[in-house]
Amino acid sequence: MRELRRVAIIALRDLRAELRGGGRLPAMIAFVVLASFLFAFTIDRAQISPRGIAAPLLWLILLFAVAAGAGRTFDGEEDDGAFRHLLLAPVSRHAIFLGKSAANLVLLWIVTVLAFVAITAFLGVGAPGSVSHHAAVLLPGTIGLAASGAFFGLVSRHSDLGDSLLPVLAFPLLVPVVFFGSTASTRIFLERPWTEVSGSVRLLWAFALGFVTVGSALFRHLTED
Amino acid sequence: MPDSDIPDSEMPAPEMPAPAPPTPETPANPAKRAERAGGLGFALSAAGIAVTLLVHWMVVDWVPTEASQGIVQRIFYIHVPAAWVTFLAFGIVALASAAYLWLEEERADAAAVAAAEGGLVFGAIMLISGPLWGRIAWGAYWSGEPRLTLTLLLWFTYLGYFLLRGSVANPRRGRRFAAVLAIVGSLNIPLIHVSVTWFRSLHPGPVVIKPEGPTLHPDMLATLLTSLAGFTLLFLGLFFLRYGTELLERRTGLPAGGRAQQGE
Repeated sequence: MRELRRVAIIALRDLRAELRGGGRLPAMIAFVVLASFLFAFTIDRAQISPRGIAAPLLWLILLFAVAAGAGRTFDGEEDDGAFRHLLLAPVSRHAIFLGKSAANLVLLWIVTVLAFVAITAFLGVGAPGSVSHHAAVLLPGTIGLAASGAFFGLVSRHSDLGDSLLPVLAFPLLVPVVFFGSTASTRIFLERPWTEVSGSVRLLWAFALGFVTVGSALFRHLTED
Repeated sequence: MPDSDIPDSEMPAPEMPAPAPPTPETPANPAKRAERAGGLGFALSAAGIAVTLLVHWMVVDWVPTEASQGIVQRIFYIHVPAAWVTFLAFGIVALASAAYLWLEEERADAAAVAAAEGGLVFGAIMLISGPLWGRIAWGAYWSGEPRLTLTLLLWFTYLGYFLLRGSVANPRRGRRFAAVLAIVGSLNIPLIHVSVTWFRSLHPGPVVIKPEGPTLHPDMLATLLTSLAGFTLLFLGLFFLRYGTELLERRTGLPAGGRAQQGE
């Protein structure tokens, strides 16, 4: 319980810093809206069904949004030395990782809602299917994306290659998430029954829990000097 | 009485320090270890090359041609052993990386690097031979097939392993980050293994390790097993040669080519 409280404190602290001008959220929002517009603009809607293509585009936009924003989880704190102080605080490394991932998840959810609205609006998808079903698919997917953003964000932060390394490291591991998420969301856009979606959702939960558990277990090795 | 007044015969013998027991970290040992690894690597590589030459003869002149696919099926004797060695190599990388994180032992990291390089090379052979076979068998070089896709992604993970090692200014931190990536990446291996049975797949299922026994023609099975042995010997030979070189590089601070190592 005490550990959960620490996770919440770290997450709230990150979100507060973001609201005070962290800069990640506006960049992510601008990115998803522009990307949605560009994707919708370049697709020939006479040849390709908007309801068939909306889900893959949505998931690709979320994947790139992780690289653009969530991967910068540690940038501000590393620059001003606050992260070093956080490591010295009497908080476990698990709590730091989970707190950072939770803050990423909140940001990613804001971006996801915007991306969903933008992509359906720009593509002209009139009936996108059950919103609660979409949420049930997007929740485990975004948990996996947020946790991997926090994990690989710290790795790429210490690399000379910086942001260009993050997609090389994270995308190969996130492709299954995008694949199963996109498959499930497409079926919801096409208003297919939940039974056709539930298998992919179970796999998305398995990936999400896997990312959180493995990330939490290995995070301390990324923070040792 | 001053010391100089004591006759020599009455002087107590100076206490000689006991010779230190030999420790595993005496300076000579890493070089010796590297030499031993190099010798073993040379022997295994020579055996691997000999068996691989035998496999070439078996594949070209001896094994019968498969009825449905024809001559192109012979890629199987290259593709499957290359895949086996790739997964063996990446498994070694994961285990050695876990050992490095746990024990902070340089030798474990050197073993991980040596295995990862072998994995990338044999993985490239697998990823090139697979589409060449698929072009004839499936009519396309590539399909969105799960095992193919996941294997390509695994290969990219280990490409990232080297990019990461080389791009972190603090070498110790770079090794630790790479070890973590290797462990995370290895979680893909069981998924690749089960992908043929879990998902709709064009990829052929197992033909050797089956509950009812192998379903291959005995000559084909013999060729495949010989090829597996040859590729495994060749990989282990290259692994030990590279491991020995890596130990020497770390000992001397010089890469095999003689250039000074950056950032070490």
